[in-house]
Amino acid sequence: MKTSLAALFQDASQAILADSTTANTVSTAYDSLWSGADIPTQAPSALEQVMLSDEKIFVVLAVVLIIWTGIIILVLRTDRHLQRVERSVAENIPLGDDDL
Amino acid sequence: MKQDVQPLIVNVKRYTLVRNLVFGWLTVVLFAGFLLNFPKINILEHTARNLYFHVPMWFTMMAAAFVSGYHSLKVLQTGDPLRDIRALQAARIGTFFGILGLSTGIVWSRFTWYVGTDVWWNFDPRQIMVSIQLLIYGGYFVLRSAFDEPNRRAKISAVFNLFAMTALPFLLYVIPRQMESLHPGAEGNPAFSQITHPVMRLVFYPAIIGFIGLFWVLYTQRVRVAWLKYRVTQDSEM
Repeated sequence: MKTSLAALFQDASQAILADSTTANTVSTAYDSLWSGADIPTQAPSALEQVMLSDEKIFVVLAVVLIIWTGIIILVLRTDRHLQRVERSVAENIPLGDDDL
Repeated sequence: MKQDVQPLIVNVKRYTLVRNLVFGWLTVVLFAGFLLNFPKINILEHTARNLYFHVPMWFTMMAAAFVSGYHSLKVLQTGDPLRDIRALQAARIGTFFGILGLSTGIVWSRFTWYVGTDVWWNFDPRQIMVSIQLLIYGGYFVLRSAFDEPNRRAKISAVFNLFAMTALPFLLYVIPRQMESLHPGAEGNPAFSQITHPVMRLVFYPAIIGFIGLFWVLYTQRVRVAWLKYRVTQDSEM
């Protein structure tokens, strides 16, 4: 870890040098604060390799799938409550009594 | 349609219509979100599309909190058990969207700004404040379960829910904007309007409308079940 830290500093200083030569540094919100983030501190894991491929489109897919999974879980939970209500209706209200 | 002795709490025809509209609308939003092109942004690249999915979660949570707070206010005014059920279900769905917003934000940041760092949670001020807000809603649900007497439960938890609603804009917007953060509009960061390409608004605003519509559908669905349960068992918890 320590050796890579030294390498990181070297990389960072080179990056700053490169930045200062190419006119103004990037000025969008994220770049100015998080420019360090594009200097990898460790080799990309298998998960990262997948997520970063194709211009990070899989990150969007993951986000959409999280939302979709959440909706499924919520609907299933609502369904379970409905089943319980249906059961207690069947137990408590005699057949033919429509006046709930 | 046969007229019930006691009127239904929800206009089923309207519910069905809105539900179908929302499903169709969100399908179009989903397609447009993936297909519409915009100028490539450094670091963000395609993840800028998460604007259409992650950000509306928070708008929806805020809308849900206001719906919930409105019904809590009505509980205090009228003591109507249906208002209590509505307040509880809106808070539940709002918390649900909050959890979705938080988890999508974690995944987005992990593979965009924290690449190569193994950081899943970086104590971004907005993350912390939102977690506090979710804990406040957790407190609301726990508080409700502490009462056996429905009227006391409805009234006292309504007061707490009004506090939760009041805290939300500050925790989600005001405080995070004063601190250094990954989010736009924070200290030193340009606001959303300055950095977002106009073409993205074509999907972003419809996405907000769509997800708030989805909130309405899920919320109405649960209110119907909860009201049915209340009429059968006299228990408003769900």
